[in-house]
Amino acid sequence: MSNPATEKTFHPSSAYFDDDYYDWLVSVSDDLSAAVRRNAEIGVKGSQDISDFLSLEARLLDQKALGEWSSFLDARCAYWIPSDTPASDPRTQVTLEIHDHRRLLDRIARLETGYAYSQYPASRTSRVFSGLEIWQSDQDVPEWRARYNFILSEFRNGYQRNLAGWNGFVLRLVDGGFRIVLKQVNLIDCDRPQGNNSFFL
Amino acid sequence: MTVTEAETSIQEWGDLVENDRVHRKLYTDSQVFAAEMDHIFAGNWVFVLHESEIAEPGDYRQAWIGTREVFVTRDNDGQVNVLFNRCSHRGAVICREFRGKSSSFTCPYHGWRYDARGNLFGVPGKNAYGPTFKSRNMHLAKPAKVESYKGFVFSTLNPDAKPLTEHLGNARAFIDAWIEHNGGEENITVSGAQRFQVNANWKMIYDNAGDGYHVPFSHQSLLVMTKERYGGGDMEYFADADSSQMYLYALDNGHTVIDQRPDMFAKSAWDQQRPQPGREVFEEHISSSLDASEQQQGFDKAVGAGMNLSIFPNLLFIGNQIQVLQPINVSRTAVYFHATQRADVDAQTNTMRLRTQEDFPILGEMDDADNFEECQRGISNAPEDEWIDVSRHYETGKDADVENGMRMGPVTSEIHMRNYYSQWKRLMTVQPKLEVSKERVKK
Repeated sequence: MSNPATEKTFHPSSAYFDDDYYDWLVSVSDDLSAAVRRNAEIGVKGSQDISDFLSLEARLLDQKALGEWSSFLDARCAYWIPSDTPASDPRTQVTLEIHDHRRLLDRIARLETGYAYSQYPASRTSRVFSGLEIWQSDQDVPEWRARYNFILSEFRNGYQRNLAGWNGFVLRLVDGGFRIVLKQVNLIDCDRPQGNNSFFL
Repeated sequence: MTVTEAETSIQEWGDLVENDRVHRKLYTDSQVFAAEMDHIFAGNWVFVLHESEIAEPGDYRQAWIGTREVFVTRDNDGQVNVLFNRCSHRGAVICREFRGKSSSFTCPYHGWRYDARGNLFGVPGKNAYGPTFKSRNMHLAKPAKVESYKGFVFSTLNPDAKPLTEHLGNARAFIDAWIEHNGGEENITVSGAQRFQVNANWKMIYDNAGDGYHVPFSHQSLLVMTKERYGGGDMEYFADADSSQMYLYALDNGHTVIDQRPDMFAKSAWDQQRPQPGREVFEEHISSSLDASEQQQGFDKAVGAGMNLSIFPNLLFIGNQIQVLQPINVSRTAVYFHATQRADVDAQTNTMRLRTQEDFPILGEMDDADNFEECQRGISNAPEDEWIDVSRHYETGKDADVENGMRMGPVTSEIHMRNYYSQWKRLMTVQPKLEVSKERVKK
C-alpha cells in the first residue's frame, strides 16, 4: 500500500512482514538453535543439492556478486543477525540487522553507489563452513532448514580478522531452483561490540 | 610521577586546546587518555545506565566510569547501587557476567560474599582474622556520588561535583523533550543494544555526535541510494544544512544539541523515514486503529526524537536511541546504541520503533566509524602536522548568544567541538578529588 501522507510507494512490498511472519521467524529460530538430534529423513541427492547451493551462496558473497546473490532471495525473505544468543524475538529486542527483501536491495544498492566508505576499500572475505545439517520443514511445501558452523576471514585495508558463528537457513524450491527464505547469522560474539560488518555476512 | 611533573602536564594539556584548533595529542597520547579517565570521566558526572536495564530487584549489569569497571545492582528496596567490580580481599573481579539476576555476589577466588549493596557478609574461615581486619571497612568500593535524572543514572568519584541537575544545566530542557517524545520517564524501556567497537579515540565519536557538516559526504551512499530508489527522504535536509531550519546549540558544561525537529517534523517525520521492514503493515495498523486526526501522532511514536543531544562526555541521544561511549584505550572505543521501547504504546508501534532505530546503525554508522578510524590513522601517522581544525563558523560571526544561556550556531558550525573542548580544558587543568567509600551501606 502507499503512504497515506504522500502516496509514496516502496518496492518491493514489505506487506508480508507482519505479526504472523514474526511468529514464524521466532519458531524457525527456535528450531534452528535447538540442541536436538534431528530426523535425517532426506534423500542423499537432495542433501547434496542443498550443500552445493549453500557453497554457491557463500562463494557469491565472497565474490561480491551481489546481483547474482540477490536473485536467489525469495520475495518473502529475511536476513537476520540477532544481537543476542539465543536470538530474542525481534519484536522486543533490537537486532544487529534484520532485513526484508526490500532493505536487502537497499543495502546492495548502497554498497554499489561507490560512496559507501566503510567498504572503500572493499573487504575481501573467505568463508569456510562445516557441520552442515539439513532437515525438512514441517510444511507441505518443498522446504528445508539447514545450519552450519562458519569461520569468515576478512581482509580489509591491511588488516585481517576472523568472524565465527553459525548460519541457519530456510530454503525453498521455486521453479526448480532454491530460494533463500531466511538466512540467520549467529555470531558467537553478537552481544559484544562488533567491528565493521558493512559487507554481507 | 612527581607533583611538579604532574603540574607541568596539566599546564601542557591546557595548551593543547586553542579556541579554533586542538592538538593531535588529545587523540593519540596515552598519557592524555589516562588523565582524561581521571579528570573527564571519574572526576565528572558520567552516564552509567538507564534504570530500565535493571528494572527488578536482583537485576544487575556491568558498566563503566571511563575505564573503571563497576557493576550496578537493584537491591530489594529498589535502590540502584553502583559498585566497583573488585573484591576487597585480593582484587578479583566479582561480577563476571555482563548482566543477570542475583541478590548476592560471591567472589569465585576465596568465596567472600557481598549483598546487592556491596556489603560484605561472608568471609570463609573468619576466625583466621584479627581485630585490625575487623576494624576496617571491607565492603565493595562505591563512587562518591550516584544520582538519577528521570531514570538516567549518573555517577562520579568526585565528592565536590555539583548536583547532577546543575551539571546537566540547560541541557535538561532537551533531555525532557526527548523523554516526552518517548512517552515520559515511566514508560521508557531499553530493549537491547547494537554494540560496536571503533579503532579511534573516544572523542572522534563524540566530535561527530554534534557534527552537522559531514552528513552529505560521509553518508553520501545512503543519500544517493535513498534518492535513486525512493526519490529522496531521510536526512536530505542536511544537503544545504546552513540554509535549513536546523540549529546547533552550545549548552552548559560541554553539552550540545543539533535540533533537527524544525525540518524533521515540518511535514511528516514518518514520511521521511527510509522504508523499514513491515512499513506497510504498520501503516495499515495505524490507519485502521486510529482516527484520521490521531494518525500523525501514531506515526510520530515510531520515529526518532529529531535531536542529536550530546551530554558530555559519554551520553548521546540519537533518534530514539541512548548511545553510550565506553573508552577502552587511547585509540579504541566501544559504542553502544541502546534501543528503546515504550510501555504506553501497542506492540506494533514498539516493533516499528525497533525497525526504525536499526536503520541508521545498519546503513549509516559504519561509514562514520570508518571515517573516525581513518582520522585516527591520519593524525597518528603524521605527527609533525600537529593541529586539528575546529574553526568552522568561528569567524563568520554567525554564532550568537540566545535565550537560557545557550549559544546558537549554524548546523554545520564546529561550535559543538569548541564548546566541549572549553569544558575539557576546564576539567583537565584542575586536579579533581577522586573518592570511593568502602563503608557499609545502610538500608
